[in-house]
Amino acid sequence: MSRNAAIIGCGQTKHSSKRRDVNLAEMVSEAVYNALEDAQVSLREVDAFVVGNMQGFGGIAQPEQWLGDWIGAVGKPVIRIATGGTTGGSVGQGAYYPVASGLHDIVVAVAWEKHSDSKEAGATTGLLHVGLGNFFHAASYGLSLKNLVATSAVGAAAGVAVYQAVFYMHRSGCSAEHFDMVAAKARRNAAKNKYAHLQWPGCTPEDIARTEIIAYPFRYGHICPASDGASAIVVAEESLARKKTRQPAWFKGLAAFSDEENQLQSENFGGVGVLDPCEQKGCWISATKAYKMAGIKDPKKEIDVAEVYQPFPSQELIFAERLGLFDEGTAWMALEKGETDIDGRMPLDPSGGVNATNAIGSTALQRILECALQIMGKAEEHQVPKKVRNAVAHGWGGVTSYNTVTVLGDSPGR
Amino acid sequence: MIRRVAIVGYAQSHHQHNMQKTREDMVFEVCKEALHHAGILREDLDTVITASTDFLDGRTISNVFLSMAVGAYLKDESKVEEDGTSALYYALMRILAGTHDVALVEAHTQGSTFNPHQVSCYTLDPLFDRQIGVLNDIAAAALQARIYMNRYSVSEEHLAMAAVKNITNAAENPCAHRKMPDVSVEEVMNSKVFYDPIRELTMSPISDGACALILASEERAREITDKPVWIEGVGSCQDAYLRDRDISSLDSLKSAASTAYKMAGVKEPSSELDVAEISEKFAHEELMIYEALGLCQEGQGKNLIERGTTSRDGEMPVNPSGGALGADPVCATGLIRVVEASKQIRGEAGGYQVPGVHRALAHGQFGICAQKNTVFILGGNGS
Repeated sequence: MSRNAAIIGCGQTKHSSKRRDVNLAEMVSEAVYNALEDAQVSLREVDAFVVGNMQGFGGIAQPEQWLGDWIGAVGKPVIRIATGGTTGGSVGQGAYYPVASGLHDIVVAVAWEKHSDSKEAGATTGLLHVGLGNFFHAASYGLSLKNLVATSAVGAAAGVAVYQAVFYMHRSGCSAEHFDMVAAKARRNAAKNKYAHLQWPGCTPEDIARTEIIAYPFRYGHICPASDGASAIVVAEESLARKKTRQPAWFKGLAAFSDEENQLQSENFGGVGVLDPCEQKGCWISATKAYKMAGIKDPKKEIDVAEVYQPFPSQELIFAERLGLFDEGTAWMALEKGETDIDGRMPLDPSGGVNATNAIGSTALQRILECALQIMGKAEEHQVPKKVRNAVAHGWGGVTSYNTVTVLGDSPGR
Repeated sequence: MIRRVAIVGYAQSHHQHNMQKTREDMVFEVCKEALHHAGILREDLDTVITASTDFLDGRTISNVFLSMAVGAYLKDESKVEEDGTSALYYALMRILAGTHDVALVEAHTQGSTFNPHQVSCYTLDPLFDRQIGVLNDIAAAALQARIYMNRYSVSEEHLAMAAVKNITNAAENPCAHRKMPDVSVEEVMNSKVFYDPIRELTMSPISDGACALILASEERAREITDKPVWIEGVGSCQDAYLRDRDISSLDSLKSAASTAYKMAGVKEPSSELDVAEISEKFAHEELMIYEALGLCQEGQGKNLIERGTTSRDGEMPVNPSGGALGADPVCATGLIRVVEASKQIRGEAGGYQVPGVHRALAHGQFGICAQKNTVFILGGNGS
C-alpha cells in the first residue's frame, strides 16, 4: 500500500562561524541547488518542499515565505516543520511522508541556520528561553532562584548536557578522558569532510585536554561550534529513484518520540518525573520502532555506520547505546578500542558530526544526509571502508528528550 | 488517494481575546475534548501533529512544552510551523503512507501573548522591507484591497457587507470571538480605520484559541464512528514573496483549489459544493477567495455578496460559522474551518446549520496577503 521513497541527491554548504559571503536566502539556495545538481533533477520536476530552521535564531519569522523564490518553491506546496534541535530530522522525515503517501513524487527537504545573523548567538539567547520558561513551575515547587540559575540557566543546551554527561559517567564508569577522545575523533573526521566547520587534522585527546574547563566535565574543546550552513536532500518515489540514481539511499524506517516528562525543570519536578537526563527513553523507543519498520533485528550486526547527534561528546556515547549499537554502558570501551573510528567496526559520525559542525536547524538533516552519502558511496574522504547496507541517523532536541531516528538502506527492504 | 482517510472527531475552544488560561491548559482541554468527541482514548493515537509558531507563542521551541498537553507523550510526533491546515495535510500524508492509522492534529495561538500583526513585521524581507518600517500585514492588505477594489469597481460598502455577513453569522456560533448580532453596514464603515480601507470590523480580531481533530484511516474510521467525514481532496501552494507577486490575485489559492478539486473530482465548485468555510483575514479577501475558488468569475465576488448568494440561506453559503472575521487564533484558524465544515456535514452546527450539506470546502491561509493557501474538500458518507 505504502510507496517506497529514497534519497537521490544531497547538497550542503560549506560551514563556518560567519558566512559573510552570502545572505540567508543565498545560503539556503546554495544547498538546494547542490542537491538538485547531485540528483540530476530540475526544479520543474520538484513537486513540493519541506523546510525548517530554529525560528527566531536568525531573527526572521517564517523565512521560507521570504526566501521561497530563491529556492524555486513558488507555486508549490511548502511545509515548514520546526521542532527545535531536531528540526532537521523532522524535516528529513517530513520529506519521506509526501512521497510515501503518493501525494508527491519528488520532494526537496532543506534545513538551515545562520547563527551569525543574530546579534548574539541564537544558541545562547534562544535556548535560554527553553530553560527560563519553566522558572515559574520550578518556583512553585519552592526551588530557590540561586538553584534555578545554577541548573537551567548555566548556558542553554550545555547546561543540560553537563548534567546528562555526569549522569552517564556515573552510570557507565567512563571518564572525562573519553570525552577528549570523542571530540578529537570528531575534529579529525571533520578534517576529511570538506563541508565541516571545526577541522583539525591529527587532533589528539591530549590537544583537547589542554583546553580550559567551561562547566565540569566539559572543556572548551568538547563543545560544538555555532555554524552558518544549510543542507538539502532530494527524495523520490521508487521508479524515479531507480531511473535517476545508480544507488539511491532508501528510507527503511523512521520514528520521532519524545519523553519530555524527563525534563530537569519539568512540571513533575515535584518528584514523580524521571530525572535522569541520559535515560533518553524517546531515543530508545524511536530506534526500536524504526528498526522494526526497517526489518532490522540486531542493530549491532546489521547497522554499518551511524550518524549520532552529538553536540557534546558524551552524547555520542549515550545515544550510540540508546540506538542499540552497543550494550548499555559499554560504548566508551568500544571507543577505546577504536571501534568507532572511520575504519572501525561501528563507525560513529565519520563526518565529524554535530560536535564539529553545528548549524542547529540543519544538523539533524545533515545526519540523514551523511548516512545517505555513505550508502551512495559519495562520502569521498570520509567514506567508511566497507560496504554500507544500513545506516542510522539520529537527531536530539526538545528540552532534553525529543529524538528522531531514521534508518536508511541500500535496498527498499520491502 | 491510495487510502481513504476520515475526520472522526474534533473540538475547539471558546475563542476570545484573553482566555485567562495558560497555553498548556487551553490545548489540553481541547485535545481531551476531541478524543472524547471521537470516543477514543489517547492510547488509540499513533501520531500527533501540531501547528504553532515560536514567534506567536513567544518562546523558543514552544512545542516541546505541549507534548504532554496534546497527548503526544511517547507518541510519534512532529510540528509544522504555520497554519493548522498544513498540520492536517502532514497528518493525512502520514496515514496515507500506511505508517500510522490514527492521528491527532492540533493548532493554536494565543494572540494576546504577542500581537500577531507585530509578528508579521518579522516575516518581511529582513534586509530591506523590515528596515524601512512601513509595512506589516495590515498595511500590505490595505494595498491589496485598494488594487483589487480599483480594478473591479468594488466599494467599501461591499467590504462592509461581507464583514456584516460573517460577523452576524458568528453571533450564532458559541465558539466565535466577535459577538455582534446586530452589526450594520454603517457600523462597520464607521469603525476605526487602521490602514485605509482596512477598518477594525473589516479585519479579523486578535483571538486566543485552539482546535484539535482526530484523523483515521478508513478501517479505523469505520470502527470509531458512523459519521466519518472523508477527505476527498487536498491542495496546497505558496506564492512568491510580497514584492515579487501580483497581490491583486490569489494565484496560490487558485492552484491549491484546482489540485484539490481535481483529486475530489469537482468540476463545478459552485454547484457541487454545499458550503465553504474560508480563512478571510480581511473582508476584501473574502471576495478575492470566492474568485480564486472558482465560485464566480474574476471580479464578480461583489455580486455574490450583493445577491446574498453566500449568506447562510443562500445558494452557496460561505462561512456560516463566521469565518476568520468571527475569530482568528492565527495558527488554529484554518483547522477551525475544517472542523466547521465537518460539523456542517455531520449536521452538528446547531444554530448555524446549513440544511443538506454533503460536500464542503475548507480553506486555510498563512502569511502576508495570503501567501500560502491550503484547500480541503470534505465529504460525508453519502457523497
